[in-house]
Amino acid sequence: MTDKKRILLFYRREGAAAWLAHLDTMRLFERALSRADWPLSWTVDAFNPRPELVFALPVGVGIETRRDPVGLTLADGNQAFDLEEAVDRLNRSFPKDIRVVDYQEEPATGKGSLMARVKAARYLLEAPGVGLAFDRTFSGGEPVVMTRQQKKKKVTVDLTPRLFAWQVGDSDQVTLTAGAGSTGHLRIDLLLDSLVQFGGLDPSAARGSRVVRLEVILDRFDPAQGIIV
Amino acid sequence: MNRFDQPEYRAMLRGVNKPARYTGGELNAVDKSASFFGSDRDRKVHAALCFPDLYEIGMSNLAIQILYALLNGDQDTFCERCFAPDFDMRDYLKENGLPLTSLETGTPLADFDLVGVSLHYELAYTSVLDMLHMGGIPLFNSERSEKDPLVIAGGPIACNLEPMAPFLDLILLGEGEEALPQLIGLVKEKKRQGLDRQAFLASAARLPGVYVPSFYQVDYEPDGRVEGIRSVHPDAADKVEKRLIADLNQAVMPNQPIIPNIEVVHDRMVMEILRGCARGCRFCQAGFTYRPLRERDRGLLFETAKQLIDNTGYEEMGLLSLSTTDYSDLEGLVRSLLPLTGPRHINLSLPSLRLDAFDFDLAREIAKTRRAGLTFAPEAGTQRLRDVINKNISEDDMIRAARTAFLNGWDRLKLYFMLGLPTETDEDVEGIVTLVRKLIAVWDDLPREQRSKRLNVTVSTSYFIPKPFTPFQWARQINREEMAAKQEQLAAGLRDRRVSLRWNDFSSSELEGVLSRGDRRLAPVILQAWQAGAYLDAWHEHFKPELWQKALEQIPGGAGFYRRERSPDEHFPWDHMDVGVNRNFLREEWDKATRGETTPSCYDLCSACGCQVYMTGVCPGGSMS
Repeated sequence: MTDKKRILLFYRREGAAAWLAHLDTMRLFERALSRADWPLSWTVDAFNPRPELVFALPVGVGIETRRDPVGLTLADGNQAFDLEEAVDRLNRSFPKDIRVVDYQEEPATGKGSLMARVKAARYLLEAPGVGLAFDRTFSGGEPVVMTRQQKKKKVTVDLTPRLFAWQVGDSDQVTLTAGAGSTGHLRIDLLLDSLVQFGGLDPSAARGSRVVRLEVILDRFDPAQGIIV
Repeated sequence: MNRFDQPEYRAMLRGVNKPARYTGGELNAVDKSASFFGSDRDRKVHAALCFPDLYEIGMSNLAIQILYALLNGDQDTFCERCFAPDFDMRDYLKENGLPLTSLETGTPLADFDLVGVSLHYELAYTSVLDMLHMGGIPLFNSERSEKDPLVIAGGPIACNLEPMAPFLDLILLGEGEEALPQLIGLVKEKKRQGLDRQAFLASAARLPGVYVPSFYQVDYEPDGRVEGIRSVHPDAADKVEKRLIADLNQAVMPNQPIIPNIEVVHDRMVMEILRGCARGCRFCQAGFTYRPLRERDRGLLFETAKQLIDNTGYEEMGLLSLSTTDYSDLEGLVRSLLPLTGPRHINLSLPSLRLDAFDFDLAREIAKTRRAGLTFAPEAGTQRLRDVINKNISEDDMIRAARTAFLNGWDRLKLYFMLGLPTETDEDVEGIVTLVRKLIAVWDDLPREQRSKRLNVTVSTSYFIPKPFTPFQWARQINREEMAAKQEQLAAGLRDRRVSLRWNDFSSSELEGVLSRGDRRLAPVILQAWQAGAYLDAWHEHFKPELWQKALEQIPGGAGFYRRERSPDEHFPWDHMDVGVNRNFLREEWDKATRGETTPSCYDLCSACGCQVYMTGVCPGGSMS
């Protein structure tokens, strides 16, 4: 019914950009796309029209990314859009700590909403002693129950079933794959708290840790099997 | 090493709200550190541009963008930014013994050659002290050694910074665009020749527009009034002349501004279309100190608009001035901009529109995307008092404009008034009530099908604050009891579910009045208030009037001493500043005000205020005359 072109961008953020909140990141993308003159499709809501731009998985303050997906839709009549050249232009429009590292065209229909396609995410944690703390907390396979304040009520979460796999690089580094998105999302701040609480991680090491989201996994992850299929 | 790779830095950012306020890294922010600090370091100037309020406020300010672009345009100058940290960050720095640093490279303020403070309101004074202290700089100019930075200040309130005199090495009077590069040149000279601070200040004092407060002595009468202020240094002139850009088209207009990564108060691109004002409202300081009125060429604005749209990606463009409708071809300008903004979904925002020249066809076109409320600023409720303040808006104008607006679908009306204006009586306060009721009646008299459903009126009142270099600089400021009575009268008269009343905070208005007409005796007061915890005073939630009340006990008569009416021949603490408008003219204006006589705008007739000597802009002999 429509000939609107859909595109998936993958972006890296580090340095100062890692300290932006989700809404700031969205606004930053909107403005960079405007500066780079991308012909985006706009929502029809007349009161507050916005370009059609969707982040697969909001990223928290203080977390770097390596290839987080952003979906966008071009206005009608842009079938011949030169994506490679436009991505170059977009990268020149970003502040220095944000870059699009990869991109692909998406089929016009099917696959469902980008946010619903998020299955898991891979992270890198760096902090002195984080490896040992991780093993202490999770190697027994026991429930790791954390509580957190969600608006006015307290919510308890068991982190263990949300953690699919991990690997201790050296004592200061862990990579992990965890649930993400609308169901079974693992919050990294909660994870760090659990390492302090159950794994003996130094609180100041947790506060000074480096958190990198290496990848957001779409579609192809089967949590029942715990592996990437 | 990159600071973001340091665990300590990350821990600090995780410990505060909105950490992106402190990280820099925005588009168009300048970082020269890779090339700047080489062997020829002593030829170069490392400057910190400070704004004594939060990032969101400072980054909304056009002056910061202008000065940043101007200073970094010189390859031998590296200008960084620094803003006042919020309380959480300030506590973190204190608890961990860390200094306040610049955004671009994280350099402590103490390590700069030059620390420049852009001052826009008096309630920022304690934040200036705080930034200097947190940055590792001794507070008093007399305590600074050769290794400390030069601390300079400028901005709209530079015409009377006497209360801050002991804390500042140097003050720039007037528009900084010309004086600042000259001053930077002198700093380079100082470094090259190894001049000491005093020698540098002496050379700087010879520049027009430069005021070195330590070169002047103030004498006082026994009752605390200023007896006189005189230069006690051979290089310091008796009167400091303000600097002025004769041709606004030649002044820097940033077309690649820094784009904040977080939402700031004015999150938009800005073009200054006019500087100065021709109207002469008698309470308005900027309206006199920025004279003469000058404007930017329409073609230049159009070209800049194109660049700004391409370079910023903002959703809104603001046309900035003290009185937008005084632009000589506003309609032409707006019609030329609409084809640029419309297709890119950009709202055009025109603040400071005067309704006596309001064109509704134009307004409708501007408001296609989003309709703002209709705003009037009559300031006073009766024609008599509007004549006193020389605010040229009549009731008929307002009624006509409101009618047209309602017929065109507007249903929100915002009105600004001042309480406590000179000569104000109960009838004038009642006049506000009457005027608001008449405007509501305009709505009620329209047939339902010709207007929207529900009217919303907001009445915002502030308190008149007498300011230096205005005809009201002699006037008395009302006290709390008078204020309460006026407020009560207004609230009783405006009980209507369609009207919401908003008040300014009286205590902070009173303090602003004290500081704006203050003298050097207030420096220890500011110091004491700050030591007791005053910080970010312009924020209602942080303002602690009791600290100031206590500190003002140092002054016999307290706040009342500064609130009082001044005698015609009293020596003002700012009399050694020359902003162009002369004292005799202001006194005549004060006399005319008390008789209820108005003065025509500069467009209609030159009143010989003193600024005609500049022969520019709207003045006789200028390009707009």
